[in-house]
Amino acid sequence: MVRRRRRQEKEAAPVAPAAAPPSSEDDEAPEELSFGTARAEAEAERKLVGEAARRHRELLKEKRRRRQELFAEQKRRKLLPEALLQELAAAPPARADERSPAAAPEFSLDKRPQGVSAKQNEGRIPGQVKKDKAGGTRSKGNYIAVHLKDENLTGLHQQTAKDFIHSQLYGPGTNRTSANEFFSIANKKDLVKKAAVQFVDKSWGLEKKQRATKFTKYWVARKVTNTL
Amino acid sequence: MGEFEVHRVRFFGLVPAGVRCMAYQHNGRRLALARTDGAVEVYNFAANYYMEKAIPGHQTRSVEALCWAAGERLFGAGLSGDITEYDLERLRPARAVDGFGGPIWSMAANNDGTRLAIGCEDGSVKLFQVVPGGGVQFEKNLDRQKGRVLCLSWHPSGTHLAAGSIDFIRVLDVHSGRTAQRIMVNCHVPKSKKRECVVWSIAFLSSGTVISSDSFGRVQFWDWERGTLQDSHTVSSSAALSLAVSEKEDSIVVGTSAGATYQFQLLPVKAGGQEKRWVRTKPFQHHTHDVRAVVHTPTALISGGLDAQLVIRPLMEKVQKKGYDAALRKFTLPHRRLVSCARKARLLLFQFSQHLELWRLGSTNKTGKDGETLPLSRMPEHLLQLKSKGPEHIYCSCVSPCGSWIAYSTASRFHLYRVQHEGDSISVKKVPGVPKLLLPAYQLQCASDSGRLFIASDRGSVHVVQLLEPGGCKHLHTLRPPAGTREAVYLLASSADGNWLAAVSGDWEVHVYSLKHFKHHCTVPTYSCAVTALAIHPTTNNLFISYSDQQLFEFSIPEKQYTAWSRAVQNSGLHKLWLERDSPITHIAFNPKNTSQVLLHDVYMLCVLDKSLPCPQPLPDDSAVLVNQSTLKQLSEPARRRQLHAFKICKKFQPLLFADLLDERCLVTVERPALDISAQLPPPVQQKKFGT
Repeated sequence: MVRRRRRQEKEAAPVAPAAAPPSSEDDEAPEELSFGTARAEAEAERKLVGEAARRHRELLKEKRRRRQELFAEQKRRKLLPEALLQELAAAPPARADERSPAAAPEFSLDKRPQGVSAKQNEGRIPGQVKKDKAGGTRSKGNYIAVHLKDENLTGLHQQTAKDFIHSQLYGPGTNRTSANEFFSIANKKDLVKKAAVQFVDKSWGLEKKQRATKFTKYWVARKVTNTL
Repeated sequence: MGEFEVHRVRFFGLVPAGVRCMAYQHNGRRLALARTDGAVEVYNFAANYYMEKAIPGHQTRSVEALCWAAGERLFGAGLSGDITEYDLERLRPARAVDGFGGPIWSMAANNDGTRLAIGCEDGSVKLFQVVPGGGVQFEKNLDRQKGRVLCLSWHPSGTHLAAGSIDFIRVLDVHSGRTAQRIMVNCHVPKSKKRECVVWSIAFLSSGTVISSDSFGRVQFWDWERGTLQDSHTVSSSAALSLAVSEKEDSIVVGTSAGATYQFQLLPVKAGGQEKRWVRTKPFQHHTHDVRAVVHTPTALISGGLDAQLVIRPLMEKVQKKGYDAALRKFTLPHRRLVSCARKARLLLFQFSQHLELWRLGSTNKTGKDGETLPLSRMPEHLLQLKSKGPEHIYCSCVSPCGSWIAYSTASRFHLYRVQHEGDSISVKKVPGVPKLLLPAYQLQCASDSGRLFIASDRGSVHVVQLLEPGGCKHLHTLRPPAGTREAVYLLASSADGNWLAAVSGDWEVHVYSLKHFKHHCTVPTYSCAVTALAIHPTTNNLFISYSDQQLFEFSIPEKQYTAWSRAVQNSGLHKLWLERDSPITHIAFNPKNTSQVLLHDVYMLCVLDKSLPCPQPLPDDSAVLVNQSTLKQLSEPARRRQLHAFKICKKFQPLLFADLLDERCLVTVERPALDISAQLPPPVQQKKFGT
């Protein structure tokens, strides 16, 4: 290694006079070094490298520590104040028996930002919801914790099965048309062309029509009572 | 004869549910049919294709497969994962055994009817044993592979099972439970069209050929031992949904999504040669929507589609003699009465599957000539809509003649309502304290004085409940047949004077009870067919019965024997055209002023029968003699008197759901035009026609 460095130094020096024959370097004998000095130099080198590596490691550690502290600080900023947390910790055990185990994880001391509404459990069944307002706890924002019906696995299976059939029979690529169009083809191909089977859809403007009939009834009744 | 003002009602929005699956019972000649709303119906072919039993559906029940096993027992399996045995005597699902495999897609019984195999959502095929006492018992699980088992078929010997899944078919050995062969179905499709191939139905022949129909519209014939494709036919561009094989295994029928059915027959390649091949012989287009169920009987092809039609097509080469047996039959409307009429109050009650509607008829104050349409001075009004609570469908309903009581029954509840008419508006109040009776009620009938309600129950019994004025009821008595029967009563008729009650049970026995003494009076002599309608005459107390083979009988209740008119008609026989009608008579009514006039109707005609006139004799060459109203109008008076006969048929109002005489001048007919039903059906497959 030493020899290589010496050669590199020698090659670097006479770079301009390139015409100098390289064989002259080979004729010279290498310098004589005692074992002790060589060892000392090697140790010094190792120490230098070790120091550099240690400093690098320390630097990385420092960086990591700073990042962790930053995250911890951010997390602490998102939390509710300590006093409020202690109050919440005190209150829920009194109502823990009423809650079902399904709802407990959702309303335990999970830190949650305010304003979140009832969390969706796996599959909710409409019409079977029992509302359970968290009483005795002060919470900012309006949210209600609800107890949902236990999910029935057969209902899920049945729904998947029905979806499979529906997609196979009526899904994309099945070339379906509406019943109105299907039955109107005969009318269109007739010698005397007629309108479609359901030319007017009765559901158009249904609300308006209902309100109109109600208003007419009311108006007629008013007229009758006024004239009497 | 008389002029009638006809209230032509076309606002009954009945849409029957589509046919999902069918099962044929060979020895009993019965067909069980399941609809998409979970209703199960049994048609008796021997009794002129009459729907003898109907089990109403359920909101959560979906039947995917039906089969007859161990003789007369009917099993169904559906997406809820249970195998249900139906009690056909009490018209309800009897026992349910969970399959524990998720939704059940298919079920098949072996030839002896001792074992049931079910194909489940998780890809397993399970075997159940049919227990003689009742129900099924789990036997074993066969090999399970990933992919839902959509169709199953037993080999006639019972040793192997063919199961069709998505993209593959496998043949299982029943004894060891292992898959003996696995055949990939999707290999012969060009790469551009590569989508999953769903094997919708499968059949296993005794020669070792497996026939499969898939979602590409192909019918393929496989050799199961080698796993090779023998033959492939593409019948349509949409899916081929159903398949059925004849008993002799020389003919199969395939139903497709486009509403077409095709027959394939095993024919020799050369006349008289040994080698045979499957050839597509006859195409039929009877349906407009998907044909999801087909059955091949020895003489006919039966198909049921999502357009709610059941079509029975007899095969010409199998029919012995040319006659009415060879006619095509199409059933769309049910063989039950779904409309009740309150005559005095001019109200109609429509029974849907989950709600009831009460309508008041319109009125007119003009008169006109024959065939004219009169303008309405008051429109028909929708007074009330009663929704039944719960997922069960309604078994029966009725409204009293004065219009103040409405009753209906589901499988587990009975409801009675008191309706108050205040001028133009009405108010409804539920009657509390309904007697605790064994439910469901299969038929409800109100007495003509609206004082009593008759409830038809099982084991042939009828409950008599008295309706008390301000809004209450009291159970008076339960009438039972003397011999006892296991079947339920499905038709009731009460006399106008309140003394007699006639009840028909599922074993086709007509019992007459006296309501004065609350005991059994007599039994009408047994006949070989089912009763489709009966009514008691208001003045003479004669029981008028119509049977499913279109025979008419009149039985005198006080004398306990058939009347002279009935004997004369039976001796001379009814006209051939009358006997060759498709649909049964579902309602009989009488003219209060004229004792000899009877109003009958079936789906395609309305008939006023005048008993004082002679019956038409079928002349050998004159076939139009039965329906002669139009010719009679043009004849002179003496010529008319010569040609006049008892049956006055009107075919102007079709298809009829109900017809009744409101008073001697007024008729009401409830029609359901086929186009109105079609417009509300699910989307059909598009048929591309040139120029549209």
